[in-house]
This record gives sequence, structure tokens and C-alpha cells, in this order.
Amino acid sequence: MEAIRATFFQECEELLADLETGLLAMEEGQGDSETVNAVFRAVHSVKGGAGAFGLDGLVRFAHVFETTLDGVRNGELEVEASLVALMLRCADRLSDHVSAAKVGESLDPDGDQDLIKQLEAFCVAEEAGEAGELDLPIAFAVVPLSIGDAPEAFTPLVASTEAGPAEWRIEFKPHATLYANANDASVLLRELARLGELRVELNADALPGLDTLDVFGAYLSWTLWLTTEKAEADIRDVFEFVDGDCDLTIRGPGANDTVDIAVTSTPDIGDGDRDLIPASAGPLEGEMSLQDLLAMARGASSDTAEAEAAAESVIATEPRVLKEPSPQVSESANAPSAKSAGKATDVAQPTIRVDLDRVDRLIDLVGELVINQAMLAQQVHEAGLARSGNIALGLDDLEQLTREIQDSVMAIRAQPVKSVFQRMPRLVREVASMTGKSVRLVTEGEGTEVDKTVIERLSEPLTHMIRNAVDHGLESPEARVAAGKPAEGVIRLAALHRSGRIVIEVSDDGKGIDRARVRSIAIERGLIEPDAVLTEEEVDNLIFAPGFSTASAVSDISGRGVGMDVVKRSIQALGGRISITSIPGKGSTFTLSLPLTLAVLDGMVVSVGDHTLVVPITVIVETLQPKPVDVRSLGPHATVLAVRGSHVPLIDVGSAMGFRPDPASGSGVTILVESELGGLAALRVDSIQGQRQVVIKSLEQNYDQVPGIAAATILGDGRVALIVDVDGVIALRRQTATRPTLLDKAS
Amino acid sequence: MPAASDLKVLIVDDQQTIRALVRAGLKDIGVTDIEDAVDGEAALNVLLSNRRNLIISDFNMPNLDGLGLLRAVRIAPQLKAIAFIMLTGRADTALLQRAQQFGVNNYLVKPFTVATLREKIEQVFGPLT
Repeated sequence: MEAIRATFFQECEELLADLETGLLAMEEGQGDSETVNAVFRAVHSVKGGAGAFGLDGLVRFAHVFETTLDGVRNGELEVEASLVALMLRCADRLSDHVSAAKVGESLDPDGDQDLIKQLEAFCVAEEAGEAGELDLPIAFAVVPLSIGDAPEAFTPLVASTEAGPAEWRIEFKPHATLYANANDASVLLRELARLGELRVELNADALPGLDTLDVFGAYLSWTLWLTTEKAEADIRDVFEFVDGDCDLTIRGPGANDTVDIAVTSTPDIGDGDRDLIPASAGPLEGEMSLQDLLAMARGASSDTAEAEAAAESVIATEPRVLKEPSPQVSESANAPSAKSAGKATDVAQPTIRVDLDRVDRLIDLVGELVINQAMLAQQVHEAGLARSGNIALGLDDLEQLTREIQDSVMAIRAQPVKSVFQRMPRLVREVASMTGKSVRLVTEGEGTEVDKTVIERLSEPLTHMIRNAVDHGLESPEARVAAGKPAEGVIRLAALHRSGRIVIEVSDDGKGIDRARVRSIAIERGLIEPDAVLTEEEVDNLIFAPGFSTASAVSDISGRGVGMDVVKRSIQALGGRISITSIPGKGSTFTLSLPLTLAVLDGMVVSVGDHTLVVPITVIVETLQPKPVDVRSLGPHATVLAVRGSHVPLIDVGSAMGFRPDPASGSGVTILVESELGGLAALRVDSIQGQRQVVIKSLEQNYDQVPGIAAATILGDGRVALIVDVDGVIALRRQTATRPTLLDKAS
Repeated sequence: MPAASDLKVLIVDDQQTIRALVRAGLKDIGVTDIEDAVDGEAALNVLLSNRRNLIISDFNMPNLDGLGLLRAVRIAPQLKAIAFIMLTGRADTALLQRAQQFGVNNYLVKPFTVATLREKIEQVFGPLT
């Protein structure tokens, strides 16, 4: 029961999402009858499941909601904006009910009263107490059956209606496989003979001469006349175990309306379409194909008067369809119905639920495989075997396959961002009603896929950003109208793939960032000097600075900035970047760029002293070979590098990480990186080994957190390489730079 | 007296929860041969290749609803003798009258207990062992 309960809540989440999606479509005026039906069904299903778990409060509320939706469905209620808005609030309330039930609580029914009253204002309420008295006694005559009746159902009409014995003509041609599977044609014939009177005619025309005879071949076929009272199903049962190993045609009694039934499963048995309707269930005489059935059944599936009429007309034509002379049903004629059956199942898109641990274990193993493959390639190369054509080709194939397996396995964890996006409309509604603003949320690219973990950890920062956009980005309706804009503000939430990363944009058409205000707050909080000269971009980025805003400052900040440093940190923790562009009076756009997966990373492999490190490609701007004249020292622990007219801090990775006591002298290579905290920085390393994709191995899980190191990986030669956390390294260097006296004393 | 273990049941409901609940209830009764389908169309697909003697189907489903499925089953000569129990959210007289016109054998109102499920099946097939 616990498992079913878990299923119920999981299903509720999907249903509530469908409900909201449907209601939003109705709000946009796109609610066709199928949408309304889906919305109704969602509430109905939540109610149905809830009833089974005794969630009475939920059921009562859902019932009133459902009744209103039923009115909409029947066309008794007009779909007007105020009703849809009310239903959206009801959907939120229903969602709250489900959330409460999930943790074993129930909401105060008084909280429903307001919504229930409003719903009831739209439609005449049903008699009270209906939720408690669902199983009302009604006039219903049970139609009894015996279990034995049912299998009869599979007997074709012809056999079941005709009295007395009938003669069947059976063509039976065994394939070689029949004998190979240790079946014996003569045994089958003997069994047939038990059903009635059997006449046997052997056809040996295909039998070759002894010189060309294949002793394992099948050359004989039989034509059999069986007179029996038994049904066709019984005849077929005899051949049950050789199904697919023979050509079998059974012609029913009666000369004109005979139907060939092809039970043959010729070598195309592997064809997926055929497997859907096994040959034994093919169109027997008097039977109907799925297509026919569906066509007829649909007429009865709706409740409206027109459908009723349609159903009647179907009934009227029914005899014609049934009595129509059956065409010779051969395998080719059989194919279309099997095809349509195939399509029907395609639509359902079968899925399986897999334990996440299993997927992660698989990803881990594939990671090992990638490393193993790289090691193998390197060893082959070192052994000087790589020149040999076949080994090189084999290795290339292996690498290609490994890559593909890795991509496919990663794709298992990928999910569309829809699951996060669909929580946002409700948030926008809530914040809009709290702040008295009129807001429309537009989402794009909901189908864009990204790793499950990224999605899960995206929810919180995105919530922050959307809330800020409504609260601080958009103006009040009056201010908007005064500025010549529509009273309704627009928030756009979009996702797209760009160069191997996912980009998420949150934009508003509000007033943009008030740079003067941001500047004065930054000065007030000591983030910048009062006389600092900053570009517009730098001013905008101040809102991400730690300490720029605190929660208590929510109400008095006219610009953006509530907890944006928190947002930035959580995005960075995902290996992502965030940036902002803003145009005064026109609005602001926040752009998030995130890796598609957290399991692999493209990195630059570098040497520092005896160590091999990996610098993530995403942070690298360029690599430089600086001239000595460009390097300037600002005291013993701070060095800057002149890059095209500006100065960036130069960090010797070796000394910052403690690999060597002092910065290395001599040349080396400098990698210009983009830091999330303070613009550009230059990292000095000894040499660059190359660029490659590496599998990320968590250091925290296997060892402990190390400042300046994000994770580890294993290289092709089996060595462990540490992946540099660029911001961490910069922070390390700042620590040493701010403690010069201490270090000086020590040395 | 028919044995519950002889029953070959097809559960049709778009909701996994309900399918699981009916399945669990049937297992309690002693039914072992259980198939399920997510809507009427999927149900027909199962029925055309798989012998069943009882269908327990929800009414409101996408694609092809319970009434449509019932209609299809009663039209098809090879399926017409299969017992049909309709699952409904409430005792909707109008709906059940229509279902009766189309030849439903019995109905079952959600939520139901295992005892009710058994009772509804026994009303159709007689006492189960």
C-alpha cells in the first residue's frame, strides 16, 4: 500500500502539472474541448486516487472543483477570464492539499470555503454531502456470466452459431525449422484426427531427387479435410507449438465466404509490427480489426448529443459492416491493421521507471570505461604499436564507441527543463497578486534537456530570479502606463542549447537597473570607493556582490538585488555563469549558462611542478606567452600582468596551491581565465599538455574538500589529476596577499 | 463455483494509482492472471491478442473512454462474451444507464474496498473460491 501511495503522489504531480498547463492554455484562449477534458480528468483523477487513501478534505475540495469543470465541459459554463483565474487559484489550492497529504497532514477546510463559494457562484451546487455518499443505491441490473462463457468469446461466430459438424480445409506446409525443433508432422496429423474425421492428401511435388536432397530440408506439404463439431480455435490449438514453423491456412465451412487465415510466420517474423498482433489472433472470420473497432467505438465515446446520434448511426450501419463479404485476408491485407496497431502503441511512448542509483552506477562505470580506454590508447601508443593499421583502427573505433555510449548514458539522466519551468507560472501569479502587478509569463524552450541534478538545483535560483523580476524589475501598472508601456508586464523565461551548454534567460520589460541607486548602495555598504570609476556593466554586476543586499533590505531596494549573490553562488556551484544586461526603461535580462552534465568536463591539462592539473575550458579566455616586461610586481606577493592595456592579477598556481614555496621564475605559460568573483585573472603554469574531456571524480566523496580544487580525474596514463577551482585559487591568492606581514615574518 | 485463479482480468485506467489499487485488490481475492492498459485503445490492443474473461475499466480516459471500450467489446464477435465492470467516480445514474444499454455487467464506484470489489465480481460470476 505504501508503494501505491508513493505512486499516487508521483502521479498527482504529473496530473497537477497537466491541470495547470491546461488551465493556462484556456487562459490564453486556446482551450479546445480536449484541453477542457484533460483538465477535468486531472482533477477527477486526483480526487479518485485521494478517495482511495481516505483523504477526505482533498476529495471534498476536488469534488466541487470537478463539478465546476464538468459544467465547463458540458458547455453549461462559459469559459471567461474570471472563471479561469479562479480555477487557477483552485489548482494552486488543490496542489497545496496534495502537498499537505503527502506529509500526512491535511489543510484546514475553512481555507477552502472562500474558493468553494466562488466556484459555487458559477454553478448551482450539487446536493450537499455528495462526497460522503458516493455509492448511492441506483437502479442497476447486474448481468451475470459464467467464467466458462468468456473463452467462448474467442470462438469465431461461424463455429459457434452453426450446429452440427462442419468441414474445414487445412493447408499445412512445415518449414525445416519445425523438424529442427523436434516436432513431428505425423504427430500433429494424428492429433487432428482425434478432433473428427480427417482426410489427408500428401503433396510431395517439391521432393527433389536423392542426389540433391537435403536431409534436413522440408519438402512435404499436406492438404487436410477435417469434419468436426469443434471450433476453429480447437483446430488451431493443435498447431500451437509449431506456430511460426509452418505455413498454415485454415478455411472454414461454406464455399463462398471462406477466409484464408495466414498463420504463417515467414522469416520476417522479427518484424516488430507483426509481433503486436500475434498470428493466432489475426482476423478470424467474423472478427474485427482494431481499426474497425476503434472507428465504431469512438462514436460511443463521447457524451454529447451529436455523439449520441453518431453512435446511433454506427449501430445502424453495423449489420452492413459485419455482413460485408469478407475479402480474402492475406498477409498483405493483414499488414495495415497491424501497422495501425503499431502506431497506437507508438503514441503511448512506453517508458520505464528506473532507480536513479542504477543509472548513476552505470554512469560511473562508463566513466571508468572512458578512463580505461584512454589508458589503453596511451599504452598502445607508448609501446609503439600505434602505427600498425589494425590496432589503430580498432582503437579509433573503441574510442568512438566509448564516446557514444557515454553520450547515451548521460542522456538517460537528461530531462527537459519543463519540470522547473512549470512551477514558475504559479510563482508569478502569487508574487504579482502580492505586489499588485499585472504580469504575463512567457516560456520558451521547455523541451531543452539538461542533467537531472542541474535541473534540481536550478529551481531555487530561478525562483529567486523570477520573484525579483516581478517584485523589483517590473513597475506598477500605473507607472507602466505613465511610461507609455502596456499595463501588463512580461517576464520571459527561455532555455536553449548553445555550444555544449544550456543557456537560460530571464528577462523582463521593466524599468531596468537604476544604476545611480546601485552605486550609492554599493558605496554605502563599502563595496566600492565613493570615487571609483566603473563601467555600466561593472555597476550592473555589483548586484551580485556579496553583501550588496540582505534579506532585510528587500523592501527598501528599488532596484534588483535580493540575494543575488546567493543566486550567483548556487549557479557557480553547478559550474555555471550568470550575467546581466540592462537597458534603462526597457528592462533587464539575466543569462545563466550551465554545463549539460556534471559528470564530464572539457579541460586543459597543464603541468605545474610535478603535478598535473586540469583547468575547465569554460573559464579559459585565452592562453598567453607574456613578455617579461608585461609582468609587474606589486610587492612580494602580488603580481599583475598587462593584457591589452589593462592589468589583471597574475597568480602563480604552483605557489598558490603550495606545490612550491615561491613563485617559479623563468618562462612558463599563462592562462587568462574569467573569474566569477572579480573579472579576469591570469594563471601561471609550467606547460600545457593538451585539451581533453575528463570524467569528474568527486574529491569530497572520496577524500575531503581541498581549497582551490574542484574535483579530481584519472588521466590516460593512470595518474590522478586535480581539477582546478579557478575562483578557489584566486581566493587562495587573496589570502596570501592580505597576509604579507605574517608570511614575511615566517620567512 | 468458479475459482478466482481462473479469472483472466484486464484492468483499464489511465491512472497508475487506480491500476495498482485494483491489481492489489484482485490479488487479495486470489486472481493471479492480470493485465492492464492505460486507455480503451490500449485495452483493445491487449484484448485482440490476449484471452481475458473480465474487464474492469475506468470510465473517463483519454483516447478511448470506458463507454467506447465497452461498445467496441460488445461489437466485436471475438470479444463480446467478456464480462465488463465499469469503474466510476460516482454513482452517475445517467452514465450507468448508457453503460447498461451497451451491455455492461456491473459497476464499481471509486473508492472501493476489497470486499466490494469481490462482491461486484461475484455478482457477475457467482461466488468465487
